[in-house]
Amino acid sequence: MREVTGVPGVVGALIISSDDGLVVAESAMEDLVTANVAALSAALIARATRAAAAVNPSVPTTMQFVAERGAIFAVAGPAPLWLVAVARPDAELGRLRLLLRDFAGALG
Amino acid sequence: MRVLEPWVGDPLAELLRESSARVALVMTSSGQVIAQHGFTRSLDVMAAAALGAGILATTGELARLLGTRDGFGAVVHQGVGRGVWLAGFDTPRGRWIGLVVFGTESSVGLVRLFFARFAEQIAAAAPPLGPVREVLAEGFERELDDSLRALFGAH
Repeated sequence: MREVTGVPGVVGALIISSDDGLVVAESAMEDLVTANVAALSAALIARATRAAAAVNPSVPTTMQFVAERGAIFAVAGPAPLWLVAVARPDAELGRLRLLLRDFAGALG
Repeated sequence: MRVLEPWVGDPLAELLRESSARVALVMTSSGQVIAQHGFTRSLDVMAAAALGAGILATTGELARLLGTRDGFGAVVHQGVGRGVWLAGFDTPRGRWIGLVVFGTESSVGLVRLFFARFAEQIAAAAPPLGPVREVLAEGFERELDDSLRALFGAH
């Protein structure tokens, strides 16, 4: 987790349970309300999963939301765990993405 | 949705909308119903309110025995297809209790997040308590009927 938050621009990394929207483990800056990030990320994951199931019979394993003032990356680990990172817009997003995939694989 | 106190309506509607919860009940710590959504039978509401208040009173006492100064924040029952969130919160009208039933389209985390917001909104929206009215025998039946009608419609 510290390796993920060590990427410049990353403000928090969490392992969440997508079933109940709760934090399993976290490493984040103090002003990041990780409980809220976990709840809202799990809601997004649930909706994306339903949307994916509606258009084709597959399950999403990676999600990326990029907004004006930041980005959220989520990578599926062993169900129901997801690895979620919150980053500023100037973060090294490519490196973060690779790191999250490696880390999510290691979780299994 | 049925509410006894009109200012509870908007925060409760937001809680239900944002958390995708199915059923909600707001009551005083003694089990008096303030608002409800999703119940169809008045008996169910009364039973849920009494049981919810009882559960929180029990866990509160358990917390006291264990030396937990602030008590337990919430009680969650998680089933396969649905869960129940039960928590107390302080308002200018005293301590109230919220009971929220949610399904697989929601989560404990999501209910927790929007319940906290709901409690804040209620605390901010509650008008100051007026002078306590004397309950007279001749008005009791009518006031009880009015309350039941507000919560369950015509009966």
